Amino acid sequence: MAKTIDNPQANRREFFGEMGTGLYAGALAYLLGRDLHAPSIARAEESPPATPSRVFDPGPRTPHFEPRAKSVIHLFMNGGPSQMDMFDPKPMLDKHHGEEYFDKIAGDVENPFAAGALMRSPFEFDRHGKSDIWMSELLPELSKHVDDMAFIRSMYTNNLTHETALYKIHSGRLFPGNPSLGSWVVYGLGSENQNLPAYVVLDDPKGLPINGIENWQAGYLPPLYQGTRFRSNGPPVLHLEPESPQPVEVSKLRRELLSRLDRIHKDQRFGQPQLDARIASYELAARMQLAASAALDFSDEPKETLEMYGIGQKETDSYGRRCLLARRLVERGVRFVQIFIEYQIWDHHGSIEAGLKRSCKKTDRPAAALLHDLKRSGLFDDTLVVWGGEFGRLPLSQLSGKKDLKTAGRDHNKNAFTTWMAGAGIKRGTVYGATDDFGFASVENRVAVQDWHATILHLLGLDHEKLVFERNGLEEKLTGVFETRVVKEILA
Amino acid sequence: MTDLVCCNLLRKQCLRRLFWVVFVMASAYTTPHVAEEPNAAKESSDGPTFDADVRPILQRSCFKCHGEKRQKAELDLRTAETITQGGESGTIVVPGKPDESPLYEVVHEGAMPPGKKNRLSERDVETIRDWILGGAQFGSNNAAPVQRVNQHDVIPVMLLRCTVCHGKSRREGGLDLRTKESMLEGGKSGPAFVPGRPEESLMLKRLHAGEMPPRRQVVSVGVKPMEDGEIELLTQWIGLGAPTMPSSPPRESQFNESEQSFWAFRPVRDVEVPNVQGTKRVRNSVDAFVLAALESEGLSLAPEADKITLLRRAYFDLLGLPPPPEEVARFVNDTNPEAYEKLVDRLLASSDYGERWGRHWLDVSGYADSEGKREQDLSRLHAYRYRDYVIRAFGADKPYDRFLTEQLAGDELYDYESAPKITPEIYDALVATGFLRMGPDGTWAAITNFVPDRLEVIADALDVIGSGLMGLTFKCARCHSHKFDPIPQRDYYRLSAIFKGAYDEHSWLRPGKAAQYPFRARKFATRTLPHVLPEELEAWKTHNQPIEAELAELAKQFGADESQAREARVTARLKELPEELHEDLQKLLATKAEDRDEVQRYLATKFEKSLTFDLSALKKADEEFNKRSKDYDRKKTELDEKLLPEPQIRALWDRGAPSPTYLLQRGNYLTSGSLVAPGFPSILTATGSKFEPTPPWPGSTKTGRRLALARWLVQPEHPLTARVITNRVWRNHFGRGLVKTLGNFGRLGARPTHPKLLDYLAAEFMRSGWSFKTIHRLLMTSSTYRQSSAVTAAHEQLDPDGSLYSRMPLRRLDAEELRDSILLAAGRLDRTRYGRPDRVEERDDGSVMEKGTNRGWRRSVYVEQRRKQPLTLFESFDLPVMNPNCLERQNSNVAPQALYLLNNGRVRRLAAAFAERVLTAAGEEPAAQVEHAYLIALSRYPSDHESRVSVEALSKLRAEWQRATESSVSSAEPGNEPTNDTQNPTLLALQDLCHTLINSAAFLYVD
Repeated sequence: MAKTIDNPQANRREFFGEMGTGLYAGALAYLLGRDLHAPSIARAEESPPATPSRVFDPGPRTPHFEPRAKSVIHLFMNGGPSQMDMFDPKPMLDKHHGEEYFDKIAGDVENPFAAGALMRSPFEFDRHGKSDIWMSELLPELSKHVDDMAFIRSMYTNNLTHETALYKIHSGRLFPGNPSLGSWVVYGLGSENQNLPAYVVLDDPKGLPINGIENWQAGYLPPLYQGTRFRSNGPPVLHLEPESPQPVEVSKLRRELLSRLDRIHKDQRFGQPQLDARIASYELAARMQLAASAALDFSDEPKETLEMYGIGQKETDSYGRRCLLARRLVERGVRFVQIFIEYQIWDHHGSIEAGLKRSCKKTDRPAAALLHDLKRSGLFDDTLVVWGGEFGRLPLSQLSGKKDLKTAGRDHNKNAFTTWMAGAGIKRGTVYGATDDFGFASVENRVAVQDWHATILHLLGLDHEKLVFERNGLEEKLTGVFETRVVKEILA
Repeated sequence: MTDLVCCNLLRKQCLRRLFWVVFVMASAYTTPHVAEEPNAAKESSDGPTFDADVRPILQRSCFKCHGEKRQKAELDLRTAETITQGGESGTIVVPGKPDESPLYEVVHEGAMPPGKKNRLSERDVETIRDWILGGAQFGSNNAAPVQRVNQHDVIPVMLLRCTVCHGKSRREGGLDLRTKESMLEGGKSGPAFVPGRPEESLMLKRLHAGEMPPRRQVVSVGVKPMEDGEIELLTQWIGLGAPTMPSSPPRESQFNESEQSFWAFRPVRDVEVPNVQGTKRVRNSVDAFVLAALESEGLSLAPEADKITLLRRAYFDLLGLPPPPEEVARFVNDTNPEAYEKLVDRLLASSDYGERWGRHWLDVSGYADSEGKREQDLSRLHAYRYRDYVIRAFGADKPYDRFLTEQLAGDELYDYESAPKITPEIYDALVATGFLRMGPDGTWAAITNFVPDRLEVIADALDVIGSGLMGLTFKCARCHSHKFDPIPQRDYYRLSAIFKGAYDEHSWLRPGKAAQYPFRARKFATRTLPHVLPEELEAWKTHNQPIEAELAELAKQFGADESQAREARVTARLKELPEELHEDLQKLLATKAEDRDEVQRYLATKFEKSLTFDLSALKKADEEFNKRSKDYDRKKTELDEKLLPEPQIRALWDRGAPSPTYLLQRGNYLTSGSLVAPGFPSILTATGSKFEPTPPWPGSTKTGRRLALARWLVQPEHPLTARVITNRVWRNHFGRGLVKTLGNFGRLGARPTHPKLLDYLAAEFMRSGWSFKTIHRLLMTSSTYRQSSAVTAAHEQLDPDGSLYSRMPLRRLDAEELRDSILLAAGRLDRTRYGRPDRVEERDDGSVMEKGTNRGWRRSVYVEQRRKQPLTLFESFDLPVMNPNCLERQNSNVAPQALYLLNNGRVRRLAAAFAERVLTAAGEEPAAQVEHAYLIALSRYPSDHESRVSVEALSKLRAEWQRATESSVSSAEPGNEPTNDTQNPTLLALQDLCHTLINSAAFLYVD
């Protein structure tokens, strides 16, 4: 890939050479060169290929430099969690509670007609851990882990509508059609387990998030790199099993017939690697059936682990299952796991006091369990856990028709939000950046979305300037042409 | 690239500009001497000076491109004056602040001068830094000139913040703020400002009071409040007496020799057909060009493919469908030496052709049936007319020059508003402009209808035009002059100015139906025209009238029912009250509120509430009525669904009086630069073509700009139009473009592998009257096209990637070809053409499937293309979501494709239907079944080997199903037995065979 920077011409030709044959033949070369019966847990110390492959294959690839993290678990928090009610205490808001502020920020409010005055947080904050980090009472379980976490309190984004901000946080641009962070990661690093997709998305069984499947799309990258949805009930992957079941022997005979016919076809066509690749993709499909089902089978987990994640308890069961599944996938060498939750569980336009409590209740324990579980299993050292949404919320109240502060919420805020990271390569017990007195805007050590992307790539051993894809003769990057920096201050 | 820069940077830039203005004014309005010693920063005695230290560096390293001969990016670094002026991206030096000075940034980061070798030494970079840090003094002889704020600084701010309510379409308070003159003319409250007297200027008073724009309204009208710097700028301008500067004549772009002589910018040449050795294989000139290159590598054309291969290849290439079994026999048995040529003619005349080749064009235009971007993914009710227009145009072989002209400027071809009758020509021309309405667009919602959102929509349209029609990556020049191609940033904005009559970010038409908007947004006009054909309008009325009558009758009945029920309730309620009140209360209810006397008003406060029943109260109170009401709702919904929406055309049209166009520095809408006039890309006007638009017909308010663009694009001297499209046609026959990068003919694009062939084809295309079918015939009757796709060892060595065309490529079916083929094999392909798309729906398992009818499913081009819900099959097989369009399909080979074809329930059911067809045609005999299955699915007979393997599998599968059936029958619950059909082992085995054939490589690949 570095070649692209130094010698775009040469690389472009090579690249289009590959595109020309219109296949990802490397997938085959890679697959056929491996023992297909390798153990399914292949989080390996295997050495990656010496030279970066020029074809699009799912095999592991050499990073640009020594990585700190091998895998990422992204706990995506749809809707815009309220930073000043969870992570970023604002005593000045208490002081100026009820004062008018709207006119000063009118251009940054989505619903001007509902905008009320400054509103203090209804929640108590306290210091936690050896690092004395403030957290609100909403997150008692995660508060126990602050000494492992790094908080960025100075995030900001560029648009205050969900769709646009989601495109930005997931793909670096304000509009659809661009590869997601996870797609870039697996394009850059490949996967260490060929029987599972490299990029797995655990969406909520209750329904897709806003922007749906666009959140994990590969955009202009080959579809090989798009996120694959794993469902927590039923067959984990779409079409993994036939809609109406067949006798096992019939399935076997059908596979045999297809394989024989395809080999007759192939044998008459010398030098057409795409035909080999196709046969291999049918074999992979069969193996995936087993591997995916095994990853989903929790019967080998001790009861205590299930309890720790809150599995079996009404509020935490769903999210807990996905957190545990994330650990099992990472354990099996899946590169990028993204967990979504409900439609917009953090979008508290109204009744934020009750609503935020519920959202935290659903996620606090499972997320904390995930950190604990990763630590005790030794995975924490090379797994990066990332928590955050697409934007934050305003210090103003948002009022419904009755103008009652009891049912007040907070409107979207693109100028400030908080995210945290933990695990591989992260400087433990860190708070980075700051917002203004009211939490309206990030003012100190501001971190743009592209900086956040570059930091995650950096931890994986990828240089955001070098991770490029050539399209129509142009070089495309996750971080585009934006001024971008890695937030080294949160790295160990 | 096109994202908004963060707000911090915006402010920085705004302040930067203001800094210069204030800085310079301070100099200008004190004494002239003071200007030489500005107080902004102290000149340190030992710091670098411009003349002695900085200028020599610039002269050495920068003047070549930013000096006397050339001023790339409109930047001249020679003098204090020109440096102060800055370049197309604005100010380059901020005195005292190197980190905010682009000049320092680019030399420090090594972005300039371009090329690693030319980087400035660290010392030089240091010198420049120190000079800026020391205040960027030019020395006493080079005092920076006075740069005065003028109308071009102010008008962009007015456009951005004010003119939505005080401009072209609305004039609140009678005020128009678009020009200095109209501001002075003022509105109901008087002139907007008093020159020289900011403190007396009404506009500033309102602004300072924070009244304008009204804060609570900003979202609904799509503006943001002014930035402080902008108010300051306006104050300065008014304070200076509102000076105006005549627009300076546009700078001539300068291109050097190598830029001008780049192959893609030179007109199509008349090329000589080369002489080759293998003349026997030369059927037409295409072969001569291809052979010439092959022979130079010691290769020749591959042997001709057999007839059956050619038949299947030609069918898929032209129609996107496999040949039907009867055609196989007919063609194979046709001994006429011209049989193949006749076949090509037959296929070109087939009405299936438009559906296949129209689809290729829909990729370029980015056709979609929904707006995308927003979660609602608003449906485009009328987009399908454009899809039908494209299909029909290809079917009729509409000349490409006409086709393009209609799509770019159909609204400027006919005076449709005064036409006595809408003719098919007028209708087509208006529908064709849908081409410019295809991009993803969230501006129907207020919160995503701000100027930057609209600029994205415009940028997408320009991108489609740039890369799709001209093969140029114009979008790079949105933020800065193109780094590799000779496209100055100004040219991007000149091009966008051509579209301003229709695409005006300061006077915007929103997509969708007005009724879909919340009430506050309805004041925005929408994008549809009512100029459909009279017959369609008539048919629509005829269709809707009886339904509307029925609806009216239904409403009437229900209304009567409702009043009756209400009366009954009131009567019942009255009975509960003392009788002496009855009469008074009845009178009360019959009297309007404003006519009531005091007693009645008193009674009303006491009793009216309990005597009033709105609909929901009535439903609660009266169970029987509630049932009838539900019944009514159901009937109404049923009827409503039968109503067809009013036929309208989703179009783009020039509305006259376009806003002025300012270049946007760094592509940022908050930092406008110089005023630009509409114009063609300057590198392409070497032939002398000038942009001279005229109103398209006498008295028209339309600018005629797009028509001028279209006419220029399709003149034979245009170096790109014909090359770009013939290259596309070539690609869709031969698997790769002669220029590999279909949308980039610039320096970073690929060079043509056969430049002369490309020019020959482009010239032939134009000579034929821009006829696609002529080119198809030429290409498909060549020996090059008729080659076998077999790869030999020599091929692998001498033409490994096939770029010499030493064989035909083996190609995978496109998503649409695959789906249509499966439906065809199953006998379930509904050949109904045109009209509203077939809806898609998302299933519980997350898959997106299309709805069919009892006639089956229509061809893929008629399936609704929703940006947020792509059909799962399409998504798996590389039909991309259009964002904004698709320049070239990818061709992937991934496991989910296998999973889909193996396990999707509908595929399995279609395989069953396919098996039925086989059974009907072939009977029970296995070998005959196999033969028929092959004929239907693969348009050929099975080989002996294939037949043997298949027959054997049939028998084993039958046995296996037999066993499974027996065990399940014995265990089945009585009365719950499956039907005989699904229990018939012979049929189940045959279904398995058919399903396997659909999954086979032979089905998916074309030789």
